[in-house]
Amino acid sequence: MKISSVQEKSRGILLFAFNTSEIDYVEIARRSARLVNHTLNLPVTLITEQGTTADGFDQVVYIDNTLQNYKIGERGAWRNGDRWQAYNLSPYDETILIDSDYLVLDQNLLKLFEQDFDYRIMTHNDKPAGAWALNMGLFGLQYLWATVILFRKTPHANMLFDLVGRIQRNYHYYSRLYHMRDRNFRNDYAFTIADNILNGYQPGEQGIPWSMLTFADVVTSITEKDDLLTVKEREKGYLIPRQNIHVMDKGYLLSDNFANFVESTCAN
Amino acid sequence: MSDLEKLTQEIRLATNYQVNKRILREKIQTDLHVPYNGGLFKVSPELIAFLNSWDTDELFLEDTYQNPVKINRKELLNKCREHYQMTMNTWHGQHEDIKRARKV
Repeated sequence: MKISSVQEKSRGILLFAFNTSEIDYVEIARRSARLVNHTLNLPVTLITEQGTTADGFDQVVYIDNTLQNYKIGERGAWRNGDRWQAYNLSPYDETILIDSDYLVLDQNLLKLFEQDFDYRIMTHNDKPAGAWALNMGLFGLQYLWATVILFRKTPHANMLFDLVGRIQRNYHYYSRLYHMRDRNFRNDYAFTIADNILNGYQPGEQGIPWSMLTFADVVTSITEKDDLLTVKEREKGYLIPRQNIHVMDKGYLLSDNFANFVESTCAN
Repeated sequence: MSDLEKLTQEIRLATNYQVNKRILREKIQTDLHVPYNGGLFKVSPELIAFLNSWDTDELFLEDTYQNPVKINRKELLNKCREHYQMTMNTWHGQHEDIKRARKV
C-alpha cells in the first residue's frame, strides 16, 4: 500500500442563490449544479439563506443576506450581495465560483488549475454578435465579469475578497470615486475595483485568457446534437459548438425546455 | 398562416453563418490552450515550428500569462502536435456542419 505524505487538495464549485418574490434562483442553481457536476465531476456547495429548501447539492451553507438591491431597467429585487464571503464560506482549497446562470458544458476551466495563481477572473465577454467590452462609466475602468472566479486559499486571494467586502459596505463612496454609471451594487464592479487596487491601481494579470459567451436576450430553447448547440432567441438562432455559456434570461432557465436540456445532457 | 407570415417566420429562424463561424473560431481558440509544467500555452503553427526547429532539449518559453516556463522541448512538442491535430479536426468537422445549416 502506497502512503502519501502529501495531502490532496480539495476542489469544488460554489454557487450563491437567494430567491426573490419573482425568481426561484435556488431552482436555477440546482439545474446549473447538475450541469457543472456532470461536466467537471466536482462537488457543488450552495450558499443560500435560512429557511430555503435546498436539495440537490453536495453541501448547503446558510447565511443572512441583508443587501437590498435592485436591477436597473427591470422591476424587482436583486439579491447579489455577500459574494465577498465566498473565500471564507468555501469548503474547498480550490474553488470555482460561478453565477448560477453560467452553464458549464466543457472542461476548459480545469486547465487553469494547473497553473500557480491566487485567483482568476473572467475578463473578456462576447455576445453572439461580437465583443462586449464595457466600462463602469464614461471615465471608469473596463470591468471584469464576476460570473466566473477561480480562487485558491491564499493570503492574496483572501485580500481580494476582503477588499470586495469593504467595497460593498462603502459602495456609495466607491461608486463616485470610480465614476460608475450604475449606482446599484454590482459584483462585476466590486471585483474590478478590488483587482485594480491589488495590482497597484493597474489592470491585473489574473484574467482568464479566453472569452465568455453571453446570451443577453430572451432565449426560447437550447438543444444539442452531435456536440453542437442550437440556441434560439425570439428573433435569431445560433448553431454553436458545445461550450460554457452565460444565459441571462432567468425565465428560460426556469422553463421546461431548459429542464429537459439539463436532463438530456446529464443522461449522456 | 399567410405567405408573408411564413416568410417572416423563416427569416426569424434563419441563422447567420458568419456569426456561427466566428463563435466556433472563438471556442477553438479556447480549446487550443494546453497546460504544461505550471504554464499555459496556446498551441499555434508558430509554436510547433519553433519547438521543432530549436536545437536544445531544455529551454524556457513564455506562456500565455507572460511567465517563463521551463520546458522539455520534445515533450511539449508531442503534446502540442497531438492537441493541435485533435482540435483542428474538431474545428473542421464542426465548421462543415455549421456551413450546411441555413436555419435552425
